[in-house]
Amino acid sequence: MTHGTDNAWEHPEVQLAGGGYVAAFVVGLALMGLSFWMVRGHMFAPAGLAIAISAVAAVAALVQCVLLLHMNVSRTQVWQTVALVLFIPLFVLTIGLTSWMFHGLYRRTMMMPAAHAGAPATQAQAGGA
Amino acid sequence: MFVHIDGPWSPLLGRLALSEIPYNNPILIGTFAFAALLAVVLVGLVTYLGLWRTIWRDWLTSVDHKKIGIMYILIGLVMLFRGFMDAVMMRAQQAMAVGPHSAGYLDSPHGYLTPYHFDQIYTAHGTIMILFAATPLLVGIMNILVPLQIGARDMAYPYLNAVSLWLTAAGAALVMASLFIGDFAHAGWFGIVPVMELPYSPGVGVDYWMWAFQLSAVGTTLGGINLLATIVKMRAPGMTWGRLPIFTWASLSANLISLSTFPVVTVALALLALDRYFGTHFYTAGLGGNLMLYNDLFWIWGHPEVYFVILPAFGMISEIVPTFSEKPLFGYLGMVLASLGIAGVSWGVWLHHFFTMAASPAVNAFFSITTMAVGIPTGVKVFNWAFTMFRGRLRFELPMMWASAALFFLLVGGLTGMMNAFATNDYMVHNSVFVVAHFHMMLLLIVYAIFGGVNYWFPKVFGFRLEQRFGKMFFWLFTAGTAVVFIPMFTLGFMGMTRRLAYVAFPQWGPLLDIEVVGIAIYVLSAVFLVAQLYVSFRDRAKNRAGLDAWETSRSLEWMTHSPVPFYNFAVTPEVHARDERAWRVARGVDTVRPERYEDIHMPRNTAIPLWLGVLSFGLAFGLVWRMWWLVEVCAVAIIALVVIRSFDHDTDYTIAAKEIERMERAIRDVPSGRPAADDVIGGVPAFRQGV
Repeated sequence: MTHGTDNAWEHPEVQLAGGGYVAAFVVGLALMGLSFWMVRGHMFAPAGLAIAISAVAAVAALVQCVLLLHMNVSRTQVWQTVALVLFIPLFVLTIGLTSWMFHGLYRRTMMMPAAHAGAPATQAQAGGA
Repeated sequence: MFVHIDGPWSPLLGRLALSEIPYNNPILIGTFAFAALLAVVLVGLVTYLGLWRTIWRDWLTSVDHKKIGIMYILIGLVMLFRGFMDAVMMRAQQAMAVGPHSAGYLDSPHGYLTPYHFDQIYTAHGTIMILFAATPLLVGIMNILVPLQIGARDMAYPYLNAVSLWLTAAGAALVMASLFIGDFAHAGWFGIVPVMELPYSPGVGVDYWMWAFQLSAVGTTLGGINLLATIVKMRAPGMTWGRLPIFTWASLSANLISLSTFPVVTVALALLALDRYFGTHFYTAGLGGNLMLYNDLFWIWGHPEVYFVILPAFGMISEIVPTFSEKPLFGYLGMVLASLGIAGVSWGVWLHHFFTMAASPAVNAFFSITTMAVGIPTGVKVFNWAFTMFRGRLRFELPMMWASAALFFLLVGGLTGMMNAFATNDYMVHNSVFVVAHFHMMLLLIVYAIFGGVNYWFPKVFGFRLEQRFGKMFFWLFTAGTAVVFIPMFTLGFMGMTRRLAYVAFPQWGPLLDIEVVGIAIYVLSAVFLVAQLYVSFRDRAKNRAGLDAWETSRSLEWMTHSPVPFYNFAVTPEVHARDERAWRVARGVDTVRPERYEDIHMPRNTAIPLWLGVLSFGLAFGLVWRMWWLVEVCAVAIIALVVIRSFDHDTDYTIAAKEIERMERAIRDVPSGRPAADDVIGGVPAFRQGV
């Protein structure tokens, strides 16, 4: 414990924050414009559009992490970066596995007439096993 | 805006009315009489001894991590007793209500508990044992030990630490309040969906469960943040990651789990609250809701939670075994990786709690494999403990007895767990008492590790050792009780007995249920010896006075400071040279060296705000349960106001002058190891009294 850290301006994170905010704003705006342009003009088929939008969103997230949150491996920031890296497998596991489970579940338990015709349970079982 | 509730409601009392007080239930009247008598005796005793000022100044307003840890453990013990009483009642009911001709008492068709009351009891038993007994006991032990093991003065956020404690206390108090005001949930500790939804549980029971759960979950998340920050940022000079004591590594892994998963359960319960208060449909079968969403969200937290409670237990075993084998821990790196591995795998196994709920075979197979994979790091740990004991000078003192018995439960619980991990096998035993017996083996492993840890570190915290003779009788009786309850329970599981039965339809199960009652009676008897052990230990505390190193072969940093630990932990922040710092210093003969000069110590100041935040959170939750909106509003506003007021308080710390430290250190007369002469103990060390 050291004295003098009551003042938020003296925290090393703040002191070493540096710039990059304007660049982040401009790049963020550009990426948002890009995705807006893609959707408005129907530049790809719906499936391709979803992938393209997701890719742009991923780039935007990276830009925010690096330029706004200043994530890097410097002494003051390394733990924020570690937390972010830890978040990725967690995200994949929880959201990914949950989607996978629900994907099979809907076919098995909430069969609508149309879905029933399209994917009979026996077929799903055979495919799954 | 709010969903319509049938029944009376008044602006002042909400749904609360005199009829909600169960004054016509003889069991609850007896319980109330017991609780009231105990309260009167305690209050009288404290007043008679004039301890109110001490309790307020040294305990309730304290931000000292050791005192907060002790208070966590006290909450855990009280709730352990309550959960144990629930277990006694369940065993008695199931033994009495066998077959159609079994007698019924107290308005019950069979046995002495109506099905609705019985359902509340198993719900309370599970909720209490997991969230309000195991979790506070382990969080308390981590709170006491982690800063000592890494050579810190206190936690990274002492004030937040007290907030976590009082939030947990508020949750525990809410569960206790449900005994005498209204009733508790009857939908299982994990919330059986959709039984916990408003149409099927229109009473306040589920609300009590939900808000108590929320308070405890928020408290534990904050505690997890605190412990992580402490381990990362507060280590003494020289305490590199490779030298971190193994219990601290286990705490780090456990709190990674708590930080990443407790928010999931708070969200799951918040969505349930929206369903129950605003009429949304997150967990209903219709209108876009999905029952499985709740199961999924709950167990995303629920399974990691069981590793959150088992990792500190593994950590304690890993500290006890080397001390009583008089050898360094075998395979330190393997142990660390195994802890982190268990934490990592814990995020990918939750679906095995609902293998039978229509997930596709591929999904079940995936989760079967991940669940079995848990056995790999756990096996690494077991072999490391075995190799630590191999060719060691084994001393079976009490902590070692508890720790080695814990390994036996790990074996039984782990192997039955592997059986359940096969989805095909799980289809056979799902919802049977076999599963109940399996997870009780795992939780008993935790209980054994906790008793081992309490026996092991008690002299460090209080300055005298626990008595061994009654302690050993407690150990053997507790073990006998475990065997006599759970061997029949495994058998009944194989015979097909399902969980949660208020009435047992098959008379052939009766004899085994009777044997379980014998087992629970042995447990009751063992508790008498626990009380005797504590009493005799306290009576003979001068005789059992412990020095720095109570066991003479301890290895880690916490054994280098005085017993009991002064409020500033270490007079001079230690410089760490080796993984087993104390053993390193003893080997070089520098363990008795006193520092030649002292430095000022910077300490956090006491504050009553966390206690008030706990009281207000209780009020908030109580108001939400009974839908007393004025109380909710008052408490919510007061909580926000207190937090804001506290943020403007810059007088949160103070400095103890080096001269003062020197004076207190000279007053402490302890011997480096072994039994020193009789001395005034329990708080007898002047530095243990804080007085600020």
